[in-house]
Amino acid sequence: MAVPAARLETKATLGVANPRGGLARVLGPDYRLGYLFVTPIAIAVLALVAYPFCYAVYLSLTYKLVGMPPVFVGLENYIRLYDDGFFRRAVYNSFLFTFGSVGFKLVLGMLMALVLMSKIRWRSFWTGVLLIPWVAPTVVSALNFLWIFDGSLGVLNYLLVKVFRILPQGVGWLSEPGTAMASVISVNVWRGFPFFGISFLAGMKAIPGELYEAAAVDGATALQRFMHVTLPGIKNITIIVVLLSTIWTFNDFGIVYILTKGGPGGSTMVMPVLTYETAFGAQRLGEAIAVALYLLPGLALTIVVLARYMRKGRKR
Amino acid sequence: MAGPAAGEASGYGRSPRAKRGRGRDGGRIQTALSYAVLTALGLVVLFPFYWMTVTSFKGEDQMRSLVSMFWPSPFLLENYQQLLTKTEFLSWYGNSVIVSVLSTILATAVGTVGAYALARLKFLGRGFMASATLITYLVPPSILFIPLYAQIKNLGLANSLYGLVLSYPSFTVPFVTWLLMGYFESIPEELEEAAMIDGATRFGAFRRIILPLAAPGVLAAALYAFTQAWNEFLYSLVFITDARLRTLPVGLASFITGDVYGWGYLMAGAVLTTVPVIAAYIYLQKYMVEGLTAGSVKG
Repeated sequence: MAVPAARLETKATLGVANPRGGLARVLGPDYRLGYLFVTPIAIAVLALVAYPFCYAVYLSLTYKLVGMPPVFVGLENYIRLYDDGFFRRAVYNSFLFTFGSVGFKLVLGMLMALVLMSKIRWRSFWTGVLLIPWVAPTVVSALNFLWIFDGSLGVLNYLLVKVFRILPQGVGWLSEPGTAMASVISVNVWRGFPFFGISFLAGMKAIPGELYEAAAVDGATALQRFMHVTLPGIKNITIIVVLLSTIWTFNDFGIVYILTKGGPGGSTMVMPVLTYETAFGAQRLGEAIAVALYLLPGLALTIVVLARYMRKGRKR
Repeated sequence: MAGPAAGEASGYGRSPRAKRGRGRDGGRIQTALSYAVLTALGLVVLFPFYWMTVTSFKGEDQMRSLVSMFWPSPFLLENYQQLLTKTEFLSWYGNSVIVSVLSTILATAVGTVGAYALARLKFLGRGFMASATLITYLVPPSILFIPLYAQIKNLGLANSLYGLVLSYPSFTVPFVTWLLMGYFESIPEELEEAAMIDGATRFGAFRRIILPLAAPGVLAAALYAFTQAWNEFLYSLVFITDARLRTLPVGLASFITGDVYGWGYLMAGAVLTTVPVIAAYIYLQKYMVEGLTAGSVKG
């Protein structure tokens, strides 16, 4: 984004002709068109996010069944959840799912960006192919993997048992507690790594070539160039992408819901699925929202830090 | 779509593609390694789609007997026939089109003018609104779906497609706005100023100069809004109770709640759900790749 912030500021103060008087001095030269144009977003933000969010916080402090008026109970929902073993397990699973997924996405995304940066033909073709999981509907991908992982007729078992003969017999990838979490993580990684890759690629392209040349002149090896030129050059993008993906992964509902619904025996139960089940299975809305909001301080902190980095990335 | 001139002038996402000249030594091994990695990643990425397509043309007998795993034999269309005639797939398709198109138009219109104001116009509260929009973009749907459902219900729009049309902007508007803010910021301000010196109003300059230049960005943003709406699952699952009013993702997922899965027609439905998104993506890949990176990072 080419225009430096400093220049925008001078343009603002010099202003184009400013015929209007006092109000414009207080509210800014473009306040009429500005407020007109911003009002629809303001309505959307208030009605669809800010108000529901506040209402959610309130509901989490109530005892509320579907179809009944809420009764204020203070922090009771939160306190009860704290002692609930199933909920604790969901918190643990959510962290496992999130950090497992984000870690693999980071590594695969870096690999993708590096190979796309190297001297290859048809770069945009390869980029396009590798981005497909990110564009395809998540539900479709989850259903595809549900079928691929199928214990008796699934193609993964067929490949491992009949074609490559790695396993003596098929595995119930999603129906056994030992493999279910790894399986849902792998689907999340499959879907999400292209976003890491394309973001790293954009970051790497923005690193000035002279830096690599200077490093090469100084006798740096390829690994040293990667460690001391590439990685520092994409530091900000990495922070942004990791934080974004952490939020998205932590709140991913579709993949887990379709593949396992949190099973078997709660071994893949993550917080968004538990929220849904508590609200629409058990019909306890107050408690459900308390599940969703339990880690709000962490989420809020992540959002604030991330928003700061994203704005900083834009300003330069 | 904007003409080439517009793309040129915006200069957006046109990061330098100069050859980096690194790894000149041992380049051949490196290139071979790159192709090996690309092929492996490509296979992993494409296989599920290949498998979905192959399955959609297989018969029940073939699937059960595990013969000719990787090619349909015989090649059958009955899954598609069954899907289109015996299930409510076509209604779901229509519902998805209605919801995605309407909510995309809404979000793109709101987001475009809003992004222009936040990127260019000088007024009190601009910085605050820009931050609020960005933060809104980052608030996950999983904490909003219950209160939104309550709101939609109070408006009498539960179990209605319009409830979805009105809720999808909760994630599409902030996204479109954030994406287009970057786009508008990249258009040289001098162009507007020149137009205004020639007597155009601010609005006139926006409509006649800036909007046409921003067309590729608006297109990318609209496409993203469309795919997000097309792919949305949670709100649709919660807000819609009538089986006929389901959108495609929820409809497809509802096939697996029965005892017998019918993988053939489920995969046929998956193919037909994926096709519009992938077709749009192949056709407009350049814009979408730029939009994708602009969503989070500086291009």
